[in-house]
Amino acid sequence: MTIADLVQEATFGEVGLSADECLKCNVCNTVCPVARVTDLFPGPKYVGPQAQRFRLATTLPPQHPATPLVASADATVDYCSGCGWCTIACPADVKIAEMNNRARASLKAGHRPRFRDWLLGQTDLVGRLGVATAPLANWSFHNRLFRLMIELLVGIHRRAPLPVFARRTLRSRLAADRRAADRRAPTGAREAMTEPPPDRAVVLFHGCAANYYEPHVALAAISVLRRNGFETIVPEQVCCGLPRISNGLYESARGRARINLGSLADYARRGYRIVGTSTSCTHTLKAEYREMLDLDDDNARAVAGATWDICEFLLDLHDRGRLDTSFGRLDATLPYHAPCQLRGHGIGLPALDLFALVPGLEAIDLDHDCCGVAGTYGLKKEKYDIAMAVGEPLFRSIRETGAPRVACDSETCRWQIELATSTPVKHPIEILAEAYAAADQPAPRR
Amino acid sequence: MPRADVVVVGTGLAGMTAAIALADAGARVEVVARGHAATHWSGGGIDVAAPDGSPTAADGIQRLARRQGHPYGILGTGLPAALASLRSTLADEGLVYAGELDDPLRTVPTAIGGTRRAAILPSAQAAALAPWQPGERLVVCGPARFKDFWPDAIVASLRRPAVWGPDASLGGRPTGVDALVVELPGLEGRHNLSALDLAHLFDDPAWRADALERIARAIERDGAPRDGGRVALPAVLGLADHVAALDEASRILPLTPFEVPLVSPSVPGLRLYAALRSALRRRGGRLVIGEPVAGVTVEQRRVTSVAMTAAARERVIPTGTLVLATGGIAGGGLIGRADGRLVEPLLDLPVEAPPAERWLSPDPFDPAGHPLEAAGIRTDADLRPVDAGGSIVLDNVVVVGSLLAGQRYLSERCGDGVAIASGHRAGAILAPRSAPTDAREPAVAGPSEPARRRQRAGTRP
Repeated sequence: MTIADLVQEATFGEVGLSADECLKCNVCNTVCPVARVTDLFPGPKYVGPQAQRFRLATTLPPQHPATPLVASADATVDYCSGCGWCTIACPADVKIAEMNNRARASLKAGHRPRFRDWLLGQTDLVGRLGVATAPLANWSFHNRLFRLMIELLVGIHRRAPLPVFARRTLRSRLAADRRAADRRAPTGAREAMTEPPPDRAVVLFHGCAANYYEPHVALAAISVLRRNGFETIVPEQVCCGLPRISNGLYESARGRARINLGSLADYARRGYRIVGTSTSCTHTLKAEYREMLDLDDDNARAVAGATWDICEFLLDLHDRGRLDTSFGRLDATLPYHAPCQLRGHGIGLPALDLFALVPGLEAIDLDHDCCGVAGTYGLKKEKYDIAMAVGEPLFRSIRETGAPRVACDSETCRWQIELATSTPVKHPIEILAEAYAAADQPAPRR
Repeated sequence: MPRADVVVVGTGLAGMTAAIALADAGARVEVVARGHAATHWSGGGIDVAAPDGSPTAADGIQRLARRQGHPYGILGTGLPAALASLRSTLADEGLVYAGELDDPLRTVPTAIGGTRRAAILPSAQAAALAPWQPGERLVVCGPARFKDFWPDAIVASLRRPAVWGPDASLGGRPTGVDALVVELPGLEGRHNLSALDLAHLFDDPAWRADALERIARAIERDGAPRDGGRVALPAVLGLADHVAALDEASRILPLTPFEVPLVSPSVPGLRLYAALRSALRRRGGRLVIGEPVAGVTVEQRRVTSVAMTAAARERVIPTGTLVLATGGIAGGGLIGRADGRLVEPLLDLPVEAPPAERWLSPDPFDPAGHPLEAAGIRTDADLRPVDAGGSIVLDNVVVVGSLLAGQRYLSERCGDGVAIASGHRAGAILAPRSAPTDAREPAVAGPSEPARRRQRAGTRP
């Protein structure tokens, strides 16, 4: 059996061994947004498939995919942002981005993670503490002196795009709404409040952004889903683990993954679809648990198969004639940035197809590669300037449109674009919720 | 309810030409591909035909059209119009080509010191096409330590008359050839330069002016020939700003500059791809890469939908027609199996190929090329795939580009010509039937009213 067959057989092609398919054609280097703007990163080909043979030399034949790989042969892999464009553009199906992510993790394996990298991974902890102290936390997060201290002590850049903590988490709001609904419901009806069947309800994976920073995004999703005949079930869930993965904290990421899989797998097996508003979380449930964390059990496969991006889900409804297309008119020009994570889903550009159904809405596909932030990458003091340089062509296009608002599916990209262009950036689901609301208001008098 | 009238699989020259022609005719086109490919390795010129013994491309087309089973047998007559149409499309995007089909094929230098015959080149390379005047000299100039372009090695080879081929005497060869290596600003100590790094630097006006100034001074210090001459530079004169970069180089340098294409990443190829992509988006076509085709559904000899590999599931695109532009063996359009069979992996179309033992000529550099090159899909006059008996295999599939059987593009140098002619022809064949009577709206930016009205209509022929 040749290596090529070994690659074909291993589920999803064993990431490391896919280097054998590499033609050395440099296409990945032509699309890398980071190599385009800095000399610190030579490009994905060098640190990826090319360096892989040094890493593989000690692990062939791979007893178990999780065997720790030898330290990366090229430390510049730390400057890879993980945007995934190299894998997207590769004509030979080499898993370059995934290979580089693992090489970055192996750089850190064996010694304590840097405090900053650990902190950026503790999304639940930081979220809960931030919301609990919201006025103070928000003030200090945007106080110049405090942020300078954070940069010096922790290494998060003083101008990095940090979000604003909500006063209340989404989960506590939803719990309060449910308690109020229980009180209002006649006593006998309480049992009827059990979960609706899978064709009339979806499971919502809200993610940390919606829970701690932007509850209005999840609430918009819940209203759009309800308008299309789907109630929303919000089971126990924690951070998907992606910030931990991208900061090399694989073991603690697996901890998060097991909690989520334990809570979601049963719903998936019962036919419920798991819908998320963050393209990063949904891509993690769909692919990263298996590709990066080597979680390939029944739970992982069930959850992956049931997970949908919210726009992907609505477009699927539309394809089956079940989407409520009675959108009101939104006369606006709306530049749209498709985040890198969405490209990783391989679902085309569903938001654009949905915007095409809204009368008066002229959506513009900005068609740029990366805004630069790539999750927590652009927050780091030694990478902030690189991230801003990567995003500059995108920011320039947005400024040139002069549009009052921009749409983008991924939260960290929204915060980065907002910081760089001081233009509000909305999730596509908020635009669709507005379009439905516009249909319900009486037409303005001419 | 099809969301695309036509799905084109493959973003090479053939696929993009077909997509542009179809979008021009108002069809809703979605181009899908596993990733980038052929354009990113291409030299950026348009090779139409240069078989041995043909003085011009036009003559080459006739000669190849007479070869049994060559795609030019079907496509040769339509090629001039197809080429003219694509050239005007590319010119609208800032990429201008010089040279005509009936111009004599000229011998131009390559980056390894060899030569090749060409007639149609982008403006940045076109100065190489002019006949060499008596006494006219050539300077081969490149940045210090640039691993893809070694002036001294190139010049050592170009000084041998035989390298310039048979017409080396009558204006076919420069009188003298000299090498020149220049230290470009801020690159001292940089060893791992790629053509792309340099192209990005040449996009920056300030750096560019300084670099061109240094090159000009180096040429003058080297004793620029009194009666003029030309300077061959590596093809790195800008990517986004390549038009301005060439203009400035032509003004500032004492010799007439021309670019020489390099190995991948090929900047001229990236310029070509950027122009094709911009032309497609301008016409409302949509292009999504990174999604390998997982499979198709076929009902009564018609492909009704294409399934793309996505994370955790497949994305199904219902379609009226499919254009197969997946390339030859290099592009993955044909795969050689260990048992000696050549297969077309996407639609499992019958492949016309020599038996395995006669795939390759014993001489790796056999001037006639290798029998394997001619392998591919046999089609009817409308480029529909046919089986050995000549009957159509799939009614709504059109095959374009290097996947077409009967061409040896390495020795015949007809790859771009076949791609453009077949791509354009796909547009002509499919356009009237694909675009229903009412207005089509571009698949990218969503207009207002027509979109909603058409959704309800939703009837497909």
